[in-house]
Amino acid sequence: MKCSQIRKMISPYVDNELAPDELKLFTSHIQGCPACKEELEKIRSIHQLFACAERFEAPLGFATRVMAHVEETEEAGLFSRIRRLFAIRPLFLRTLEVAFALVIMLIGVMSGNMLVADRTPGTQPTIQESFSLDLFQATPPDSIGGAYMKLVGTADER
Amino acid sequence: MKAFADDIDLIKRIEDGSRPAFEELVRKYQDKIYNLCCYTLHDPDTAQDAAQEVFLKAYGRLKDFRGECAFYSWLYRIAVNTCLDEKRKSHEVTDPMETTPAVEDIPSSGPSAERLYQSKETGRAIQAALQKLPEALRAAIVLKEMEGLSYEEIGDTLAISVGTVKSRISRAREELRRLLGGRI
Repeated sequence: MKCSQIRKMISPYVDNELAPDELKLFTSHIQGCPACKEELEKIRSIHQLFACAERFEAPLGFATRVMAHVEETEEAGLFSRIRRLFAIRPLFLRTLEVAFALVIMLIGVMSGNMLVADRTPGTQPTIQESFSLDLFQATPPDSIGGAYMKLVGTADER
Repeated sequence: MKAFADDIDLIKRIEDGSRPAFEELVRKYQDKIYNLCCYTLHDPDTAQDAAQEVFLKAYGRLKDFRGECAFYSWLYRIAVNTCLDEKRKSHEVTDPMETTPAVEDIPSSGPSAERLYQSKETGRAIQAALQKLPEALRAAIVLKEMEGLSYEEIGDTLAISVGTVKSRISRAREELRRLLGGRI
């Protein structure tokens, strides 16, 4: 086997990543080739340099800080989900609001009409008549004031 | 294998809403991830921020982890990508294929060979040399030398073939030998 091919196998050899047949070829070549052996030693020294290098440990309180960030992120995520929920449906909500307002107005008009219709025609003024100052009654007969006037015998006169 | 099963168990608990399980996972991998970030980014503060980012991303993307590879491979992948993003942000990223200049900030004369092998100094020298490596080579060699992953695991982490891992690690060692020449 050529030296150039063996050189490509040096790193995998250092990392124990050679297949058994490759390993056999490699070791037999290295034993008889000082140049490749020297190359192997240089690469091995790089590997050993890493083995001696300092391993950095996470600073004190690292996990606690990560968990605080997780909590913050989750809260922010919850708020944004709520915001998105409202942002996605404004048209729907607005349509509902308008429909609700219309229904309330319709109910108001219908109940008003029903109240007016309950009154005996002819004896009570119509809605238009009630706006007239001529029909003003300070104490209408069906009010507390009217009842009091009736009790004391003074009828309210138009 | 047991560690892998433990991770799966923790992940199930996290998916069920257990925050203490995630804290356990953070405590289990914090040193490895921080160390990886330190050797990739060469600055303790940036490394700490990046390591935090790694765990936050992992928490947010945990539902995407399908157990096709080991959890730590998946976590290292996030770490490698986060460090790469961090380097891009700081405009320090090098072209994966570009050739690198020799390290100038490691004085050739200085401590003796014995002292060089002292852990802290060696760590600093390696950190400085790693900064001069192309990104693709640095990720492969750090995962190999610092985390002790196999070629297959590195392939899983970086989404590359075992052949590419082999070639990148060989090239990285060649480069480091050149960069740390006087030190070996």
